[in-house]
Amino acid sequence: MKRSTLARLVLLGPPLLFLLAAFVLPLARVIWGSVFAPDFTLAFYERMWRTPVYGRVFWITLKISLLTTVFAALLGYPAAYFLASVKPRTRQLLLLCVIVPFFLSVLVRNYVWMILLQRTGLVNRLLTEWGVINRPLELMYNELGVLVAMVNMLLPYMIFPVLSALLAIPPELRHASASLGAHPASTFWRVTLPLSMPGVAAGALLVFIVSLGFFITPALLGGPQQMMVSNLIEFSVRQVLNWPFAFALANTLLLGTLLLYAIYVRALEGRMPRTAGLP
Amino acid sequence: MRRRLRTLAPRAALALAGGSVLAFLVVPVLTVIPMSFSSSMTFELIPTVPGLTQYRRFFASPDWMLALGRSVQVALGAMVVATVLGTLAALGLRRLARHSRRLLEAALIAPRIVPSIVFAVAVYYVFAGAGLVGTVGGLVLAHSVLALPFVVVFVGSALHGVDPALEEASLSLGAGPVTTFARVTFPQIRLAVFGSALFAFNVSFDEVVVTLFISGVRAKTLPVKVWDAIFYEITPILPAISTVIIVASLAVLTPLLLVRRKAS
Repeated sequence: MKRSTLARLVLLGPPLLFLLAAFVLPLARVIWGSVFAPDFTLAFYERMWRTPVYGRVFWITLKISLLTTVFAALLGYPAAYFLASVKPRTRQLLLLCVIVPFFLSVLVRNYVWMILLQRTGLVNRLLTEWGVINRPLELMYNELGVLVAMVNMLLPYMIFPVLSALLAIPPELRHASASLGAHPASTFWRVTLPLSMPGVAAGALLVFIVSLGFFITPALLGGPQQMMVSNLIEFSVRQVLNWPFAFALANTLLLGTLLLYAIYVRALEGRMPRTAGLP
Repeated sequence: MRRRLRTLAPRAALALAGGSVLAFLVVPVLTVIPMSFSSSMTFELIPTVPGLTQYRRFFASPDWMLALGRSVQVALGAMVVATVLGTLAALGLRRLARHSRRLLEAALIAPRIVPSIVFAVAVYYVFAGAGLVGTVGGLVLAHSVLALPFVVVFVGSALHGVDPALEEASLSLGAGPVTTFARVTFPQIRLAVFGSALFAFNVSFDEVVVTLFISGVRAKTLPVKVWDAIFYEITPILPAISTVIIVASLAVLTPLLLVRRKAS
């Protein structure tokens, strides 16, 4: 055996075997288990597809993910634009506001939203104290609570790609537009915004993909009307022990995620840094 | 003057809008810190008599300490496994042709893309059959899978900056591959290896979804105990525990950010 082949085998063998045993085979078992019980059947997919309650869960998942994406874009763009407009040193400092919470426990961040948004929470108390409201608002166990927390958690996925798209625009283009007499607003609409669109598209796809699999936020901040696919999967496994049905749901979520991710990689290949949600 | 106003106003509006979004990202999570110093047995948002009562309760509780100890144990295990395997993988990927490299790289990053709940169900089913549910070993295995992609990416990008000619020179001068790695390659990627180890620790320490399924009743980690307490605990101990978790993550993260600064 050639020495280089041996080296590759020694280096890549252990991690790939580990991944095969602890990741690929369990996932393969899920795919297998959704269609063989023990004979080949599509009954579980049919049930998922035919039962209106489950259809609703998919619809809710898509709706919440889409709304999260839209709000993340609306809030993330000005944040990224602001970060792009300041001096590099200031930017490094301000970026900590985006990076640090991104690394903090997702569970803790969801829990904090619960204590902020509950009936006797900080938000309701302040609004009452300031005389804005008379009685506490229902801010959680509904779609609002889920959206606030999800947008809060997923904004970094939007800000990073938009910021890198904005920073990649040569400043000469804006100067040229201004020196040719364009109003700053029209320079923004006709030069900056279109050129930063690949960043927005990348961010939107990432936010949407990650939203689809969200579990903790709808479980803690949502009500029964905000049950997403992940929560239905957990319910099927842990409450009703219907494994094959949970497998069918998990497979559908997996397939959707991988499909969108393939689009993300294909469409943005070469144009965006391939960080795959890694900051 | 009017001209200045015209250019200043949009800048101020932008700073206000951008600043508000940045505040929305950081401020909410920080509000838990003052809450954690409540001394009463009921919930207080702004403690009337600040004190360390809740921290004392946390550190004096054998139950919570057991969970904390287990979390640290699992995170250390996952850190070692993910860092060793991820570094090996990154070193191996570099020796492949472009096409097969990209394919294997995608496979190694896949655990980050697959939704946690899907992996949770898969690994729960397989672990249940293998008797690994509720064991520290099982948790280490599953957490290592989730941390592996970060190590591969971080170490991989550090390896981009390593000149293969240096390694070839070392090899041709008679040093073995292990010596070459230890004396030539490793010193150049040291920061990335240590950094991704810290990162792997943090990934494991904060993991909830997969752990919720496979920790069973015997091997509950700190986040899983917190999850249970969110539903059942009425006394205000959770803000204190949340603060401990935040501080632990910051302790792990700070050296990483400092390294990043140095690198840029």
